[in-house]
Formats: sequence, C-alpha cells, structure tokens
Amino acid sequence: MAAAKMTVAVEAGAPGSAMLDIAGLNVSYPVYEEEPVRAVQDLDLSVRPGEIVGLVGESGSGKTTLARAVMGLLTQPGRIDDGSIRFDGKDMRALSENQLRAIRGRDIAMVIPNPRSELDPLIPVGKQIAAVARAHLDIGRAEADEMALDMLKAVHIPDPTRRFRAFPHELSGGMAQRVVMAISLVCSPKFVISDDATSGLDVTVQAQVLDLLRTLVREHDTSMLFITRDIGITAHFCDRVAVIYRGEIVEFAETASFFDNPQHPYSVMLLAAFAHNPALRNKWHKPLASTEAVAGRACQYAPRCVHREDACDERHPDLRELGARHHVRCHFPVERVA
Amino acid sequence: MRILRYIGRRFLFIGPQLFGIILVSFLLVKLIPGDPAVMMLGPFATEQQIAMLNVEMGLDGTIVDQFWIYLQNLVQGDLGTSWQTTKPVFDDLAIRFPATLELITLSLLLALLIGIPLGVAAAYFKRSIVKKFSDYYGLLAGSLPDFWLGLILIYLFYTIMQVAPAPLGRIDFAVLPPPPVTNFLIIDSLIAGNWQALWSTLGHLVLPVITLAVINAGPILKMTQATMERMLESDLIRYAEMCGLPKTTVIRKAFRNSLPSVVTIVSVLYGFLIGGAVLVEIVFSWGGAGQYAVQGVLNADINPVLGFVLFSAILSLIIYLLVDLIYFAIDPRIRG
Amino acid sequence: MTDITAGHSERSRWEAFVYALRFLFAVLRARPLFALGYFIVLLVVVLAIFAPLIAPYEPEVANPVDFLQGPSWRHLFGTDATGMDIFSRIVYAPRIDLTIALAGTMISAVVGSFIGAVVGYYQEGGGFGSFGAGFVMRAADVLQAFPVFVFAIALVAIFGQSLESIIAAIAFVNAPIYLRLMRSQVLAIRNMRYVEASYVSGASDLMIMLRHIIPNSMAPILAQLSVNIGWSILLTAALSFVGAGVVAPTPEWGSMIAMGFQNIITGQWWPSVFPGIALAVTVFGFALVGASVEVLADPARRRALAGSLRERKKPA
Repeated sequence: MAAAKMTVAVEAGAPGSAMLDIAGLNVSYPVYEEEPVRAVQDLDLSVRPGEIVGLVGESGSGKTTLARAVMGLLTQPGRIDDGSIRFDGKDMRALSENQLRAIRGRDIAMVIPNPRSELDPLIPVGKQIAAVARAHLDIGRAEADEMALDMLKAVHIPDPTRRFRAFPHELSGGMAQRVVMAISLVCSPKFVISDDATSGLDVTVQAQVLDLLRTLVREHDTSMLFITRDIGITAHFCDRVAVIYRGEIVEFAETASFFDNPQHPYSVMLLAAFAHNPALRNKWHKPLASTEAVAGRACQYAPRCVHREDACDERHPDLRELGARHHVRCHFPVERVA
Repeated sequence: MRILRYIGRRFLFIGPQLFGIILVSFLLVKLIPGDPAVMMLGPFATEQQIAMLNVEMGLDGTIVDQFWIYLQNLVQGDLGTSWQTTKPVFDDLAIRFPATLELITLSLLLALLIGIPLGVAAAYFKRSIVKKFSDYYGLLAGSLPDFWLGLILIYLFYTIMQVAPAPLGRIDFAVLPPPPVTNFLIIDSLIAGNWQALWSTLGHLVLPVITLAVINAGPILKMTQATMERMLESDLIRYAEMCGLPKTTVIRKAFRNSLPSVVTIVSVLYGFLIGGAVLVEIVFSWGGAGQYAVQGVLNADINPVLGFVLFSAILSLIIYLLVDLIYFAIDPRIRG
Repeated sequence: MTDITAGHSERSRWEAFVYALRFLFAVLRARPLFALGYFIVLLVVVLAIFAPLIAPYEPEVANPVDFLQGPSWRHLFGTDATGMDIFSRIVYAPRIDLTIALAGTMISAVVGSFIGAVVGYYQEGGGFGSFGAGFVMRAADVLQAFPVFVFAIALVAIFGQSLESIIAAIAFVNAPIYLRLMRSQVLAIRNMRYVEASYVSGASDLMIMLRHIIPNSMAPILAQLSVNIGWSILLTAALSFVGAGVVAPTPEWGSMIAMGFQNIITGQWWPSVFPGIALAVTVFGFALVGASVEVLADPARRRALAGSLRERKKPA
C-alpha cells in the first residue's frame, strides 16, 4: 500500500511546484577569533507536495540546524549567510517575525524527540494541543478542546478523555511523543519536519509511533522532511533520501535507487554499518586517526574515505546528477558495494 | 488530601528547627558577659529583685535547668519584661511587629510592581533600552544603602519640598490613632472608619515604603530577568515558538514557569526584611520590631532581643509554609 | 627530550596567558561597565593605600570654628557638625571598611567552603559521615533562620565592640552562603563520571578533593566573593550606622552618615550625602566585578560573550 502511494506522490510532484525549496543555503555559527563554524553549506533540497524526504546524517552534521533555519528559529549566535528558503511559494527569509509565527505550527509543524522538557509542565496536555489550535484557527475554546480530544484519539492514546487532563510528567515517553505528534498535526499542516522524532523511545514503541506518523501524514497528503540518524528507517518510510555530511548533501536519490545503488562512500559506510557481514563493515569503515582538518577546497569526506585519491584533496566535488534523479557529491562514485 | 499530608510533613521539620532556634538564642544570651539577672532587670534593679529573679529563672541551677524554665515560660507566652519600656516583651512586640509587617508588606508589593514588569521586559527585549536600564538598576539598587536613600528622600521631600510628613513615626502626633484591634494602623483605621487617621498613616508610609521598595525591587528584578532569560532560551519556549503560539502566550508561558523562583526570592526578602528593615525604621523613627530589638542589643536589654528573634523565626517559618503552598498551587509536579 | 617539552609547555602557557589577557581587554572594551567596575575597585584600593597623601586634612581632627561648612574649595565636601573635613574622612574610610569587608568575606569564604566541601563529599557516603553532614546542614538552617542584621549586632554586642568582633560577625553571617554553595557544587561534581573514574582507579579522598573537586567548584565561589565583599561593606556601614560597628571619630562611611543624620533634617545635606555616595559607588564597583567574574568564570556564558565580540568586530 505504501509503495502504491509512493509512486503517486512522486508523480504528483512536478518540477517547480515544490512545497519546500531550499537553494544554496549557508548557515554558520561565529566563534571568537576563529573561523565561523559552517553548519550548513551550499545546501539544495526540495520536498514536493505529499512527498516524504528522509535526511540522514550523524550528530553534528547540521540536520537540526537545517530544520531550525527552515522554521526561522536558529539558536544564537547562528545566522543564515546566504541562500533561499521557499515554502509553498513564499520566501521564508523575507517574511516578518509575525508572518513566520502564523506559519509555524499552522503550515509547517515540527515533531521533536524526547519531549520531556518541551511540553509545559504546568498545563494539562489536552489544553496544550488546544492552545496551538486556537492560536492558528479561528475557533472557540470548546471547539479547540474537542479538536484536541480528537487528536488524542487519532494518535491512539489510550483513554483519551482522562489523558486530556493529564500533566506531561504523568505520561510515559511514548505517550508524550504521541502528544507532540498531536500538537504538530492538530492544524493539519501542509508540511511536517520530524527531527529525529523517535530516537528516545524503545524499539517496539518506536515502530508503532513511526507507523502512526506515516499513516497520519499520508492520510492528509502532507509533505514531510524526515530527519534521522537511522538510515534503516528511511528505507520503508521515505520517497526520497538525502544524506548530509558536515552540512553538505553528499547524496540525494529516490529511495529505491538509493538503496539499490548507493554511490557515495559515506552512504555505503552508513549502510554497511547495518550489515551482518563484518567484512563488509570493515571494508567501508576507516577509523579517523586524528581530527584531520579538511584543507581548503578538499572533499570534506576525504579524511574518512576508504577510496581517497589525490584529486579528493585538491578539488571540492560538486553535487552532480548520475542517473535518474540520483545526485552524488563524489569524484569517484562507488560502482559496486561488495 | 495530598496537600494536608504535604503540610504535615512540613510541620515535622518545623518542630526541631524551632527548638534549634530557641536553643541557639538561649545559648547566645548565656555567652554575653555579665550577670544575666542584672541584664534582664536593668541598671536600676535592687539587690532583692536580682536575688528573686535568680531563683525564678533557676540561674543558680545548671544550664539545663535554666533552659527548662525558659522553655516553660515560653510555652506560657512569657517572654520576660523589657527594663527599657517596663512592659512585658510580648505586649511590646504585639504592637511593633504589625508596624514592621505593615511597612515591609507594602514595600514588597510595590517592589513587585516595579521588579516584575521590568524584569520580564528586559528579558524579552534583549537589545532594548529597558534591558540596559534593568541591568543598571539591578546593580545600583544592590549597592545603595537603604538608610542613606531614606535620608535623601527625607531631605528632598520633607526638608526641601515639604510635601512629606516629618519622619517621626507612623502617624501624626496631632491625629488621634484608631483604637487598636490588629495594631495594623491601616486596618484599624478602616475598622474605626477614621479617615483622618488612615490618611495620615498612608502619608507616613509613603517615604519608607518607597525607600524599601526601590532597594528591594533590585533582587526581584534580577531574579525575574535571569529566570525569564533562561526560560526564553529553554526547550519549552523554543517549542512554543515552533508551534507558532502568539507572542503574549509565549511570554505568559515563560513567566508562569519562572514564577517559582520569583516567589522564592520574595519570600527570602520578606524573611530578611523583618529584621533588615531596622535601618529604615530607625531613620523614620518607625517604632518597629527590628528597631526594638536593636535598641535591646545596644542597651543590654536582653528579653526584647530574644523575643524578637523568636517572633521573627516563627514568622519566617510561616512564610516558608505559605511559599510551599504557593508552589503547591502552581506546580502540578509537586501535587502529583 | 624533557627540555623540549618543558620549553614547549612554557611557551604555550605564555601564549595562553597572552590570549587570556587579550580576551580580557576585548571584553572590557565591549563591556565598558565591567571596565568601570575594575576601575572603581582599583581607585578605592589606591585611596585606602595613599590616603595620607591625598587627604588635605587630618581625618580625626575637629576644627570647631569650621563646623557645618558647605562644600567649597577649602573643604571640597564641606565639614561636619564637629568641623572635621568630610573629603579627608571619605578618603580615609576605605582603610577600615575594606579591611573589615575583605577580612570578613575571606574568612567566611575559606571556612564556609571548606565545611561545605567536606559536608558535600561525605553526605552521600552513608554511615557517620552522612549523619554529621545532615547535622551541619540543619545547624546552618537554624543559623540562617536568624534575622541577619540583628544577629550580627548581637554578635558584636557579645564579643565587645572591636574591629575583630565586627569581622567575626560578618564572617559568621556570611559563612552559610559559602557552605551551601560549595556543598551543592561538590555534590554535583562528586557524581561526575571523571570523579567516579578516579575513585575507581584508587585515588584517595584527599587527592580527589584537591585534584578535581576544589578546582572545578571555584567559579561560582569567586563570583560570589566579589559581590559578597560589596555586601559586607554595606553591612559594616549599617552596623556603624546604628552604633554597633566602628565608633566615631574613626572615619567610616556608615558612621559618617549617622553623624549627618540630624543635620539633613535641618538642611545641611553634605555630611550624609557624600559618604553615602562613596559607599554606594564602592559597592557598585564590587558588584560589577562580581558580574564580570560570573560571566567569565562560566564557560557557556564566556563563549556566548566571545561570540558577541566577534559579531561586533565584523561590521567595523
């Protein structure tokens, strides 16, 4: 069923009608008397209506910074140096704070991980869902409460009428995660960013929550940027997969193409890490001997790459299209994995 | 039901603490060099009186006996007599504590009105004039001696402009005070319907209240600002921003979550001011409890000091209990 | 080999020092208020040291002919009711005020944080240590339940009105602050992985205390220290104001304000106003230094500050 929907989604996404379109985005954090940390570099990414795009990267690769940049909520002292972020035809960087406020939670919603300190400890969770609905939709208190209760049912929280009045500290991790999903989906947003949303949960709960998230998103034909550290999840969850390394997209392809034929050594390394074959794992993994600085225009992945060649240290590779909609940033794309 | 259990647990701690306070103050008195009987009866006591008191207080017995007698007197509400006023300390304090409480309660209310809005605004508008002003204010208010500020206000508004009443007590000499019921002059005037007394009382309160409020708004402002700043950077508020909640809702949310630390600082200030307002009381000849105690210490009149220490300790315990009840009301995690 | 490494570490230490110094100056340029704080504190210390050279009159010599003169070129800040020159007395005052405040604060910081460290270290160990720690904390509760000011006056009354007893009183009322601060620090640090690791690898309690716990808990203590010195100056002045501290004619700001108390109602403002300003400015200076230490000693806030320095530089 998921596969059938997926093809529909891909076809629906005609070029130029992207829900989210990021082009040439650069985000950096200044550091005293040193070069600023470039958290996101020349990043292009687009998500079409109804599409789920996975964004995979290790911690510190710039995933969360990217999500925050899209929402217009970078943490201090981070700033966008250049590039454009277009959402649903609007230039997000040109919008005022109040216009952004109207979009956040209404059109773009964020699902966050480990919602322990994010939910307001002093307010019952039902009221928190209702507050978001009331902030964006022109409805009364009673109607908002009803919507909140419906959402609690929709995210399969057992005994929703009682849980409506529960405080966050009375909920388990999985249940709090469902509440956060309810908050993000209550206004039926056009676009959802899920930032590593299930990383704090037990594996069994994680699967349930993910299933639910996908079902809800597909039902409403919502687009989603699915940020994760777990490349395995993207295989059955996403329409397209992007791999991010040190703030750069290194590979971006349709899911089937990506998993059939991964072409960046880093992607292969991530995939091999899941393999049950130790020989394969070791073949693609190179322990980083030192925190070798990446000199000038060299390929960022070069110090960790098992296929490093001289060219890798001299020229910075561009993201180029190899095959149908399969983009790779590598001078020597991988042809055969094993 | 939970709340009763909570209060009960609190009271379990209060008992030993109160005992500790009584013990320490008793021992402090024992440390003071000189004949305690002479100190309690004053310099005009006769030999006979001293001998009688020695027997009465068990001063020729062991220190444990003396403490036991002291405790028994306490339980009967007997705090001894002040040789300066020649009245029972309990009666003296019954007048003077309301004077102090009236003063510091109003001062802290005004301080809250200054400190909280400024603190919230300074935390929210990070690069604004308000933030600059609050930074200076917080540092400056902590640096000003309150007794000096009181003097300056007296000089400006009494000596020069002659709009404030003379800094000599709680009410004009010419005005007949209302019959004492609670000894809070505002309340008593209201009960008696004596508008002239009320007006005079309020007039006398203005300068000392401003003095204490200006100084004590500093810590309230700093605490509000610091907590709000931390709150506004917290995951909680960042998430509220992600959900696109309106600005006012976000600020209210941050403030509500900062409230416990604001309540804490106010309770600390209140406890401190019971004795700490003494300098301002002296400047305005207020006749408050702190002033009574300080005069006791300075003139070796020991019963008022002990009485004051005990009264204020009990009062601070009551305040802490109230604070716990407030926490209980605002935070479901404590209830749960 | 050893020589080379020694030289290397020497040079890098020097470089680190230079870096820290440059950073400090950059901070002071960007935060002029901090610079003002250091300037005030320095100025007060200089006044205290060179008072005899700066003051135009003897601070304790009354000249009854010249009593209650307003500010003039002859008497910069005027004279008080006994005819003593107020400016000279203000210049001399930090000698006693600073001595009392510094000594009182230092003693309370050392004693308080030592007890706090021991209490924090043994609190969770169980057995006799825990019992003792609990007892000390309850005792601190009781002491802090006393009204600070009356307590301090009572202590001075008990020990007799001398410099030492004022210092002792100030140390006594301040000590619980450091005790609590240090205890909470030690409790937090004690449970850190690296402390556990060093415990597991057989380090003695004393070693752990000296190597890990004390160095890592110094930052908040230092910040508290500076603010506390200012506060102790205020307390000294307050004690003297009510007559339980430094006795006139010794030049001291609080007692000077008290001496001018009666004059202010009849319109002679200068005997009280000038010492009050001197007192407030000094305390303000120490508060500013405290604020700067608080920022600089906290790695997270230091980094945030450094980030903002960088931003300031860019557009220029």
